[in-house]
Amino acid sequence: MSATAPQQLCDGGTYDEIETWSPQKLRDWQFELAREVVADAAESNKFYAERWRQAGVDATALSDWNDFKKLPLVSKPDLVAAGDAWTTRRGRVAFSTRGTSGEPLVVWLDGEESQTYFVPTMRGYWWAGFRSGETALMQSPAWHRLAAMEGHSVLKMGGRAAYYWGSGNPQYADYFVEAMRRVRPQFVTTTAPFLVSLLRRLGDDGVDARELFSSVHSMISVGLPLTPPLREHLSEGFGAEVFERSGTQEGAAADECSAHTAPHIHADVCHLEVLDPLGEPVAPGERGRLVVTKLFAAGDPVVRYDTGDIAELFEDPCACGRELPRLKIYGRPESSVMIGGRAVTAYDVRMCVDADPELVGRMVLLVRDTDAGPGVLSVAIEGDAHNADELEKRLGEDLGVEKVAFYWLGNARMAWGFRQVIDISEVQR
Amino acid sequence: MTALESAAGGTAVMDHLISFEVPGGELRFGEGDLDVWAEHLVWCYSLLGVAEGSTIAVQDFGTSPLAYLGSDLLMPSLERGVAERMGARIICLDASPERIVLTPEVVRQVKPDVMIVRADVLGLLLEGSKRSGVNLATIGGMTIVAACGIDAPPLPPGPWQRLLHVESSLLLAPQCTLCGSYHLREGVYRAHDGHIINLLHPDAALCEAPGLRVTGETCSLGPNDTLVELASRGGGRPA
Repeated sequence: MSATAPQQLCDGGTYDEIETWSPQKLRDWQFELAREVVADAAESNKFYAERWRQAGVDATALSDWNDFKKLPLVSKPDLVAAGDAWTTRRGRVAFSTRGTSGEPLVVWLDGEESQTYFVPTMRGYWWAGFRSGETALMQSPAWHRLAAMEGHSVLKMGGRAAYYWGSGNPQYADYFVEAMRRVRPQFVTTTAPFLVSLLRRLGDDGVDARELFSSVHSMISVGLPLTPPLREHLSEGFGAEVFERSGTQEGAAADECSAHTAPHIHADVCHLEVLDPLGEPVAPGERGRLVVTKLFAAGDPVVRYDTGDIAELFEDPCACGRELPRLKIYGRPESSVMIGGRAVTAYDVRMCVDADPELVGRMVLLVRDTDAGPGVLSVAIEGDAHNADELEKRLGEDLGVEKVAFYWLGNARMAWGFRQVIDISEVQR
Repeated sequence: MTALESAAGGTAVMDHLISFEVPGGELRFGEGDLDVWAEHLVWCYSLLGVAEGSTIAVQDFGTSPLAYLGSDLLMPSLERGVAERMGARIICLDASPERIVLTPEVVRQVKPDVMIVRADVLGLLLEGSKRSGVNLATIGGMTIVAACGIDAPPLPPGPWQRLLHVESSLLLAPQCTLCGSYHLREGVYRAHDGHIINLLHPDAALCEAPGLRVTGETCSLGPNDTLVELASRGGGRPA
């Protein structure tokens, strides 16, 4: 790679010099990386070479970001259909996406690509306060590409890695609690649904969550976007600062700083665009589709890949002083419902629900109900009815919803997984 | 001398870097310790007939050695995992229900040579596969290995091969394709009074195996191994 990598600093809260670069310097540097990646893909990857040839783009001679934007978007069905024509580098380990939008995409990882992600992972852990000599209790390394890099990063930072048994499903909470008692970690990484379920479960069992987590100063939450009240709820409940980490199997990676405004993009490994339906960048403050480009010529290339995720870019200065742009991934079209011509995500609804301190932390599911009528939002909420009128008013004001059909789930304890939308028939069951 | 042989003294893990919290205990590993077990898992795969260069899909939790020993890309401090030792490729599938439903499509895309499945979820996997119109049991050329605990419930009928797998004891014992018995590898495990003892890992729990029967026979694939059968339903010899 000809573009010079940023120097590691580990100075106070700053991990490396990329955090101090101006937006212009960062954009210029990213363009050099993007140009190398595109040239490499044009030469070595049959799928991209053919795609760009068909689009009439000379991918070997990009001169600026405008040229880059002429590269056509690619989608998951494109890559699935391409098969071996896309996965030419023969990575050693594969992960699959969740397949919430149809077929899962199998993404291979090779050694060089894995190494490339160590620095951003260490940067995110550093921001969240992980330091040499500490122990991180983490989810299994095999559930997600980004998780596979976490153990490596922890050891490279001079720490120890402990893995709790099972998956992020709440049914494994007992094993997690046992691990907490034995390991006494300073740092925990797990999924947001698991943390929510765990806090509730500990309360039900009369276990003092703050006591159990008394050794922990920070937690990283992955898998679902946190609303600010939910982050506060978890931080307060466990007595540890909670940081959001986000990313995709296809290469997006972002971590939150202590200002908690939205995860900062690890701009050394990925270039992220948020585009409107016509493929143009959305205006500041608007949401669009997340498009990912990996910025290194290792592993299988990902160039202008339309993830389908609904996201928002924040390029205004962060309170932490870092210039790295920030990104919030809200969900997928499949985890949203159309109300009045607008995609309302489960995150949007949780924002309204979590604004009530009595409701924050309850599981919230959008209900797909084709008979509900236009402008009607159907939502299932764990527990007994509470302040429904006020909540309906908030949903109306914030989301333009005309009417809300609430389904209060009472004591029907459900595992809050990654799924955010259910069908009306499941609620009625 | 293999890494396994050189480690056969079973040194205590004094300064561990990694630990796995497993049901009934904790397994700690220092620098280089995981390689001993990666080499052993490769040995298990060889007795199960898994060829070099295979594509291996692992449907198990990521904290299972079947998953984390898969590659150095997954585990820090592991110098060479199964993928690196066998020239293999590993597909991480996880054993949670939401992941299992994806497996038929992943299998269709990747066409693994071997699929290692946690026995607890084999039924769920077969059910999901049937729903999606894929019969895993008859996919051409793919071997399915059920990783069974000592007390595993009976497996659904099918042409499964078996691997005894008890996490807290770090027990990995393949059912031999040649002799049909489970091989307790020489220098790694010992059968004693209804138990299996892990000779290498100081944290490994004693594995209770009440139905354990030492056959007293020998097998050319491991002439000094202890060959055992289990009277329990899941781990025993297939009918």
